[in-house]
Amino acid sequence: MNDLLKCTVKELSNKLNKKQISAVELTDAYLKRINEVDGKVNSYITVCNEQARISAEKAQKIIDAGSANALTGIPMSIKDNICTKDIRTTCASKMLEDFNPIYNATVINRLNDNNIVMLGKTNMDEFAMGGSSQTSFFGGVKNPYNTECVTGGSSGGSAASVAANLCAASLGSDTGGSVRQPAAFCGVTGLKPTYGAVSRYGLIAFASSLDQIGPVARSAEDCGIILSAIAGRDENDGTIKNIDKADYCSKIGMSMKGIRIGIPKEFFGDGIDSEVRQAVMNAAKEYEKMGCILEEVTMPSLKYAVASYYLISSAEAASNLSRFDGIKYGYRSENGNTYEEIIKNTRHEGFGAEVKRRIMLGNYALSSGYYDAYYNKAVKIRGKIKAEYDEIFKTCDCILTPTAPSVAYKIGALENDPVKMYSADICTVTVNIAGLPAISTPCGYSSNNMPIGMSIVGNSLREATIIAVADAFEKQFETKEASI
Amino acid sequence: MHDERMISFMFDTNLTKHLAELSKINFTDDEIAVISNEMSEIISLMDTVTEYNIDETFASADPVQFSDLRKDEIKDSFPREEILKNAKGKSDTCFKVPKVV
Repeated sequence: MNDLLKCTVKELSNKLNKKQISAVELTDAYLKRINEVDGKVNSYITVCNEQARISAEKAQKIIDAGSANALTGIPMSIKDNICTKDIRTTCASKMLEDFNPIYNATVINRLNDNNIVMLGKTNMDEFAMGGSSQTSFFGGVKNPYNTECVTGGSSGGSAASVAANLCAASLGSDTGGSVRQPAAFCGVTGLKPTYGAVSRYGLIAFASSLDQIGPVARSAEDCGIILSAIAGRDENDGTIKNIDKADYCSKIGMSMKGIRIGIPKEFFGDGIDSEVRQAVMNAAKEYEKMGCILEEVTMPSLKYAVASYYLISSAEAASNLSRFDGIKYGYRSENGNTYEEIIKNTRHEGFGAEVKRRIMLGNYALSSGYYDAYYNKAVKIRGKIKAEYDEIFKTCDCILTPTAPSVAYKIGALENDPVKMYSADICTVTVNIAGLPAISTPCGYSSNNMPIGMSIVGNSLREATIIAVADAFEKQFETKEASI
Repeated sequence: MHDERMISFMFDTNLTKHLAELSKINFTDDEIAVISNEMSEIISLMDTVTEYNIDETFASADPVQFSDLRKDEIKDSFPREEILKNAKGKSDTCFKVPKVV
């Protein structure tokens, strides 16, 4: 394999600007590898060969004119729930198998303004509902470290495409851990920004109060570079925060001396594999050696977090997915004679089993007689979890937790057990519930050589801090390459 | 006051059919039986929230805050022919559906 394909965004940007390689050569090298290798991983749903070459030629002209920035000419993949004008956007669902958006998501316009090269659209769990990337209508994604194992999800295609050197970086989306957990399973870095830091306009909605687009890359610094390009106010998203453009890499290199890291004991309990627990605690000790101060903290409501998350997210999903009726766009059933029959058959035939389960759960939580017991209670727990984070951040700069209770497991191991699958989200969902930023970065490898990820959680809009803290660890941690 | 933890035990095929109707999904009878079992297990997990006696003062906490709204300016929407491009059924400038009334 061409060693260039393993470079970080920052390294590639330097090489492009020094004319050591052209944007077209770099793009062609990635497209060649996608053609040769992605059949084993299935990380892409759509590869944009022609458009990528056109974008690369345009980027090269900008580089030649001396007007390049940190992302000019960088080949990236994009999760297939982010709308791309005239390029099919499927959400990995039969429902949107041939859907071609008529507009770009705001993040796509911003990346295009930076003249990135979009290589293609990545595979995922259908409608971003899942933690394994096995529910895709286009077949499951395989882990580049061991193709018998899952990638995690739902942004499994994004994480796998970075880990297998099929792009320099990617955009995913994170509703309950969907950027961080696949990043952990695939040995790469994934950032979930503060709710409202990045526009959701053009992100096909799953749970609108939890969804956030975030980068997946080979380093925390690369995540910061991408976040700097996509974050900030957008008049098309009413929930975005009033934040100006910022350099989210600005704190990289700051002294770790005196940084207070909270270690919430509930995240290191019985449900966490011993190898994962040990790797994260070893990372904590490394931080201590750098001068950080470790502080044991507590989050008593963690045990209610998974149920609270699934009730809120499914309720929102039931509402958001009601738009898929086969009338305006997407799949339409040929069975049925009436308007009502066509809608019901369209949704039965167009959605996969997990999506239908979530819609049913959401409507259950919202329906008369159950609303107070479930949805309202979940919303109250959401407030309690947010308050517990607020309490921790009174004394801590950030929080360190495992990203997932285990390393990537064998494909098929949890597919028929939704309860076990949902419970595995325990380490990530509180961050979405509280709307906070978090970054997952590799911190070790299991005895079977699968990556282990740790998460650094920050207070609202403290992305620059957690990126710097993750970067400090990455600089002294030796990663192992995927075997693919 | 009813016992909230008993709710999950009432999850039967009639409730599943009711939810399927609310969800506008046309399950077969065999699927209704399967999904009833799955939903019972899922609701058992969800029942953990009903065990929690929570302090009401947290009830209004909401991490979603709305930004300053943009100016109310009239702008062109997407062209009609563009919007209709993805529709499976269309007639001239309209979506086409089976007769409703």
